[in-house]
Amino acid sequence: MKRWYFILAGIFFLLALLVPLVVESDYTLQILFRVFLFAAMGLAWNLVGGYTGQLSLGHAAYFGVGAYSLALFSKAGVSPWVSVLLGMALAVISAAVIGSVSFRLRGPYFALCTIAFAEVLRLTAKNLPNLTGGDVGVQVPLLFPHSSTKAFYISGVLLTLIVLALTAWIEHSRFGYYLLAIREDQDAALAVGVNTARYKLWILLISAALTAIGGALYSSLFLYIVPDQVLAMEISTEIAIVAMLGGAGTLIGPLVGSITLETASEIFKNFFKEANLLIYGVLIVVVVLFLPEGIVGTIANKLRLFKAAPTAPFATPEPPDPEEEAQRAVISE
Amino acid sequence: MSLLEIKHVSKRFGGLKAISDVSFSVRLGEMAFIVGPNGAGKTTLFNLITGVFHPDSGSIHFEGRDTTKLSPDRAARLGIGRTFQIVKPLRNLTVLENVMLGAFLRTSSPAKAEQEAIKVLKFLQMEKVLHLPARGMGLPMLKRLEIARALATKPKLVLLDEVVAGLPTSEAIQLAMLLKRLPEWGISAIGGIEHVMQVVMRVADRVMVLDHGTMIAEGLPQEVVHLPEVIEAYLGSKYKEIVL
Amino acid sequence: MNWFYSTIQAILNGLLTGALYGLIAMGMALIFGVMRIVNFAHGAFLMLGMYATYVLFQTTGISPYYSFPLAGAVLFVIGYATYMGLLRPIRGQVDFMVILLTMGLALIITDGVQLIFGADYHQINIPLLSKNIRIGSQISINAPWLVSFAIAAVLAVALYFVVTHTMFGRAARAIAQNRYAAPLMGINVNRVQAISFGIGSAAAGIAGALLLPVFYLFPEVGNQFKLKSFVMVVLGGMGSIQGAAIAGLVLGVVESLTSLYWGNEWALAVDFVIFILVLSLKPSGIFGSQRA
Repeated sequence: MKRWYFILAGIFFLLALLVPLVVESDYTLQILFRVFLFAAMGLAWNLVGGYTGQLSLGHAAYFGVGAYSLALFSKAGVSPWVSVLLGMALAVISAAVIGSVSFRLRGPYFALCTIAFAEVLRLTAKNLPNLTGGDVGVQVPLLFPHSSTKAFYISGVLLTLIVLALTAWIEHSRFGYYLLAIREDQDAALAVGVNTARYKLWILLISAALTAIGGALYSSLFLYIVPDQVLAMEISTEIAIVAMLGGAGTLIGPLVGSITLETASEIFKNFFKEANLLIYGVLIVVVVLFLPEGIVGTIANKLRLFKAAPTAPFATPEPPDPEEEAQRAVISE
Repeated sequence: MSLLEIKHVSKRFGGLKAISDVSFSVRLGEMAFIVGPNGAGKTTLFNLITGVFHPDSGSIHFEGRDTTKLSPDRAARLGIGRTFQIVKPLRNLTVLENVMLGAFLRTSSPAKAEQEAIKVLKFLQMEKVLHLPARGMGLPMLKRLEIARALATKPKLVLLDEVVAGLPTSEAIQLAMLLKRLPEWGISAIGGIEHVMQVVMRVADRVMVLDHGTMIAEGLPQEVVHLPEVIEAYLGSKYKEIVL
Repeated sequence: MNWFYSTIQAILNGLLTGALYGLIAMGMALIFGVMRIVNFAHGAFLMLGMYATYVLFQTTGISPYYSFPLAGAVLFVIGYATYMGLLRPIRGQVDFMVILLTMGLALIITDGVQLIFGADYHQINIPLLSKNIRIGSQISINAPWLVSFAIAAVLAVALYFVVTHTMFGRAARAIAQNRYAAPLMGINVNRVQAISFGIGSAAAGIAGALLLPVFYLFPEVGNQFKLKSFVMVVLGGMGSIQGAAIAGLVLGVVESLTSLYWGNEWALAVDFVIFILVLSLKPSGIFGSQRA
């Protein structure tokens, strides 16, 4: 990686970590926490969705597992941070189950399947009040003493940094290339010896574990969770949109996406109180119609920044090549 | 010694018998080609060898090992490389990255993979397009890319599925000449499917003719091409390039 | 003996509800079959049909069982326009983008309706609601459900007829089988697809109208039906409208029995479990020919 990427990133995160020294408002810090938390979630999703091309709409499952693990294991007497680790483990197990069923499916079936699994978890949490508190909810312990919003904010920044670093490392390894190959053409990947099923599963496990940490952090800030909050499709959608808005398949896309989306959300909520969902919907439509490569992707293409290959995995593919069509017509089976 | 042995292999899809009791082998050091009219079952045969499908009956052995029920990625790891008839470039990656993907089978270091890929691409005379995205390349280059990616996996046997089809004749001949040099890469044998008889005549050591899923002839190209069964199989075909 | 009659009653209710479910699912199946579009705004369209019918009822007193064609017409236009304006431009993109787009559209529609009508729950009252048909002494059928069953059944048959016996239907099926060859046969692919989208959306709108007398009306009402539609379309076999219709009946009965024995809250969960089971074991569904 070019040296100045490191420097820029270093400066950014250093500044980010210094923010609590200047900002006192709890409210602002909470918003900033949300920005970094969803950046981290988007980055984690990006590993599976952006790089590997498996567009999951059920990541709330892992988020919720992390949240509920923290709540329920602590209730049973386990120390909070150990509960978080257990949450990661459970998320990994969930991902193994979900992945083994969903990855056999292609196209829209895959996305629908991931939705179904997340919904089953949500409904189970709602319908087992003795275990999970049902719709009434359950308390979540504090991960940081003194309920310090500053501590949560810092943890959000650190989580983002970790996932970003992990993504960068994967991007430049053989693993990363294999993931891209799976996204681009699974049959071609198989033909060069890539065990596509294994790699898809592995990256999902990693993504799930990271998402679970996010769920735990998020729930700890609010001290109380209900299924319709942490296992809702809205969470899955937000995570995916953050990545797509910023640029799925790019390194910093989800970070840019999160900053943009959460800031815009705040503005919407304050100025257009009731219409904020509508504007959110408009944003989604605009992204799909005009910015399919996301902000970072579009800029990178215009400036031809990232090597020479455009990162537009989901935008309009090649129009049929007349030569290729001719080839198709002539060639036998 | 046979590198690849196919014995009495059959495959049917629903009501269609795509391959019927086909047996043949590819020996070390040889370039064997499968020819036949449209719909003869040639690509299905390749798909059976590389594990995309499994035969209903019969056996396939590679290097003496039973590979009848292989998975495609395992086939690649064992040393069977293949190109696809309809090219499958990784469109959002560069040419170099595409080939690196193949090289990664034998090394996990991106630096080494890049070196290896550059070597292969130089051999295929593609140095100029190393850093261009695969998307938007012309067919001749994409065909070479297919070959390069397969070669980068350092296969023992490489299966070329219609590598020159759709190319202008000059390109096709050029590519054919390159193919003759493939043994320099330590490739033990080559199997190919071809429509373009000019290439087959120049390059093949041995030819097998497939028609409607059965093998109707086998032997040296010059001999096979004169056989009445073969000419009959091709009668009515759109291709007029049969060298008689 | 009570459980026997309860079960029969549940099955009967399930079939009646299932007919409506089936109608909604058929609309989605048509759209998916012809265009491979998973329409996340399908529920929102149903909701629009419901609100349109409600407004008409409040202003003119016309019963939904007479005004439902209007809901169908309105949603046909909306569906056609949605396809032409929003979906056609992104035709080439990955399915996921279509899902996102229709999700965004659903948000816009739902929130828009909430802004106009508020989030309150509404209900209408028509005389038919109090009429029950008794079978024996233990089973009764609520009249509105019977009427909606009848209407849904007729529409389902009509739709099936259109798809199998008209030029349009033939064109739609041609596109479903081979999108690239269809234009070569002189089929105006865009127009047929837009019409299909319109018809599919109209089905949702009509279902909304028929639902109005027996359900609560609120902006989010479409959500649950959308999710159930996915289950039915997959269960019936993606793209098969007969499959979707039958899956609707099956789902109605399964939900009804689940509610009876385990409680309402598990009904939706069971839907998803069925969904996952079908996708794992037989992704092509009951009647499906398309591979998952």
